[in-house]
Amino acid sequence: MYLTKEEERIYDGEHGWANQTCMKILVRLGELFNATKLIPIESAHISGVSYKTLGDAPVEFLETLADADGKVRIRATLNPQSFDPEYLGKRLPEHIREKQLNILRQFKKMGFTQSLTCTPYYLEKPKQNSHLAWAESSAVVYANSVLGAWTNREGGPSALAAAIIGKTPDYGVHKAEDRKPNILVDMETPFQNETEFGALGIYLGKILGDKIPIILGLKDTSEEKLKQLGAALATTGMVNMFYHNIRPERERIEKISVEAEDIKQTIENLSTTSKIKPDLVFIGCPHCSLDEIRQIAQLTDGKKVKAGTEFWVCTSRHVKKRAGDYVKQIESSGGHVLTDMCTIVSWTETLGIKTLMTNSAKTAYYAPTLNKTETVFAPLKQCLKEVLKG
Amino acid sequence: MQQITLKGRAIVEGRCKAQALVSTQPISFLGGVDPTSGKIVEKNHDLHGECIKDKVLCFPHGHGSTVGSYVLYSLAKKNIAPKAIVNQTADPVVVVGAIIADIPMIDQIDINQIRTDDIVEVDAYAGVIKILTKRESGASCI
Repeated sequence: MYLTKEEERIYDGEHGWANQTCMKILVRLGELFNATKLIPIESAHISGVSYKTLGDAPVEFLETLADADGKVRIRATLNPQSFDPEYLGKRLPEHIREKQLNILRQFKKMGFTQSLTCTPYYLEKPKQNSHLAWAESSAVVYANSVLGAWTNREGGPSALAAAIIGKTPDYGVHKAEDRKPNILVDMETPFQNETEFGALGIYLGKILGDKIPIILGLKDTSEEKLKQLGAALATTGMVNMFYHNIRPERERIEKISVEAEDIKQTIENLSTTSKIKPDLVFIGCPHCSLDEIRQIAQLTDGKKVKAGTEFWVCTSRHVKKRAGDYVKQIESSGGHVLTDMCTIVSWTETLGIKTLMTNSAKTAYYAPTLNKTETVFAPLKQCLKEVLKG
Repeated sequence: MQQITLKGRAIVEGRCKAQALVSTQPISFLGGVDPTSGKIVEKNHDLHGECIKDKVLCFPHGHGSTVGSYVLYSLAKKNIAPKAIVNQTADPVVVVGAIIADIPMIDQIDINQIRTDDIVEVDAYAGVIKILTKRESGASCI
């Protein structure tokens, strides 16, 4: 791998331990995947912010980097933490709050924007064809497939290293020739709702590995439905990106078809129970767009959340601020519009939540192990019907 | 018994000899592995309930959450990480985890050749795996 004089100096430790460690991670990764150089990136987005999923050991790693003057060189945003400061923060023990706040302090010290969202693209849309180093697998697939930006699915630490160096190794989907689709997926049945898009992602992720599909036959797509599809694809696969409803350039391409029965089965398997009496109904994985919040506000109008049930809508501070009246509507119905956090990396067990209902395939996949909940996977309208009365 | 040698690509250098734990399914370290016990907890996984501590963990590739790298790091700090990781295809998320956790790792290996409980020697400098002792039921197939 070719390094510039300046990069070599960083590699040799002339710019301190933090820069050297990050450079070594990038070079090691680049050499393994046959990159010939490092390329500048427009932004980095970091996963591994929640104390719940990080635990203590990686925090020491972050502290060491921050103490050694690790500083981001480019715009670098953060994934959600493990609670929202207002509603849930107050219900959690002091030591948990303190450990989480310490993580945020380390990131702040290194210069990260405290975005605390898995949808950094709602804060600032990356330019088309721009190179990024994003972790958060759902955002990676969305950036490549919906926004036309270029990023590999970075592990948390390599996105962190890229933020500090301001560059990423030039391999994988940073190269035009490696962004070409190599499998054609024929989806024969039209979808009715977002859960079917999510289920398709879960089903395909298991089959595709790291292949790049063209998915044919998707109807009634919206950016939000593609967000669900991408999040789910990256949950069960190593998938970086997908194309939909375009024709392949070459004739000879592997083909598979997905039957309605496959999707039906996947949806059934994503629920661990058919008993629908959730402690929590959760919408917002990945974080809601303004449009999704508007839709939820309309559906809650004139209704009330049932006693004994929590209703959480998760989004970024940025989107919540713009959604003023919609937020008021949802909260007057008894729901909570929570920011900075993600339910699957939050302390639901500590809060006594044992059953969860969601329209997100990614959440439904992870919740049984990460949250130890019984889980029901159902479309938005059904979720709201369950949680609301009147 | 004839000794089987498999050649792959060295990813993180190191050497060890240990029992193999082999899966036919991809692994997500976040959500898939309990970070306090090192046990596989992903439901319906073929290694569900198995502990990865001190094993040569062989699986096709990683999947899912990019926080998986940090989970590997945590497992290593708590001494409940695998002794080595052997993959068919390296997932960048697993690679970065193995780098910062300093877990020997090799990819481009046909893991179907290895069976759970085989004693294997991993040379992750050369990218070579030797199967030293075949498990009883495995031996009958040779």
